[in-house]
Amino acid sequence: MAADAPWYEAALLVGITNALNVVADGLGTADSKPLLNPRGDEGTSSELASLFADIRAFYACQEIPAPFRLMANDPGYAADVWEAVKHAFSDHHLSRRFKEALAFAVSLTSRSTFGTAFHLAEMRRLGIGERGVMEVLGVTQMFSSYTKIADTLQLEPDMGHIAPVDRTPAPGGRAL
Amino acid sequence: MPTVRLRDAAEYPSAAQRLFELSKTWFNYEFEQPPAMSRVMAWDPGFGSPHGRAMKRAMGPGEFTRAEKEMVATVVSGVNACSY
Repeated sequence: MAADAPWYEAALLVGITNALNVVADGLGTADSKPLLNPRGDEGTSSELASLFADIRAFYACQEIPAPFRLMANDPGYAADVWEAVKHAFSDHHLSRRFKEALAFAVSLTSRSTFGTAFHLAEMRRLGIGERGVMEVLGVTQMFSSYTKIADTLQLEPDMGHIAPVDRTPAPGGRAL
Repeated sequence: MPTVRLRDAAEYPSAAQRLFELSKTWFNYEFEQPPAMSRVMAWDPGFGSPHGRAMKRAMGPGEFTRAEKEMVATVVSGVNACSY
């Protein structure tokens, strides 16, 4: 993890995970009447049918996750967001398996009912056992403690300098 | 600026010095002063010791590597908007 690339990848994942959670939790999920009607499968355009098929294939399930059905009221927008989500969660510098663990930690920390349940299920589907789940839970809980202690005492960062600096250029760019 | 005066390592009792040595080993870095959080935790060993042990259990390698767990810790800190 010494290079910057996995950290950029993680940051984008955190952002898009939060974006999905905001829509799912804010507009309502299975337990409450949604504030915006989720788009069903009936009468969908070929564009939307194709989008739903791609989502089902990626998650290997028939159920379309709540935020995508909500966003699908604007199929073009939903397709663009999905492209970003699929890219962010695919294997690259970080594995998809680990990315689901990160998304679970983000969702748990931000108290997202949708995200916590969804990414926990994805972790398990991708082969993470109960020990692995407990490991992520433990790190999330411990650092939810450290961060609040640090904030209460207004501690200033004092460890940033111990990490090496990555001098490589941006992807496709050239080194200065 | 911190709301408390962070004591120099030398102001702590000898039992805490051992905790500071463990901190150096954990981070594999020769600090001039132990990190602020280590000094906070050493203030009350009755809390800091079990909290530190729980942290080490959680951060040790298992299904995920220590490096992966450091990344999980970073994103949790980010979501909590903690700059420390």
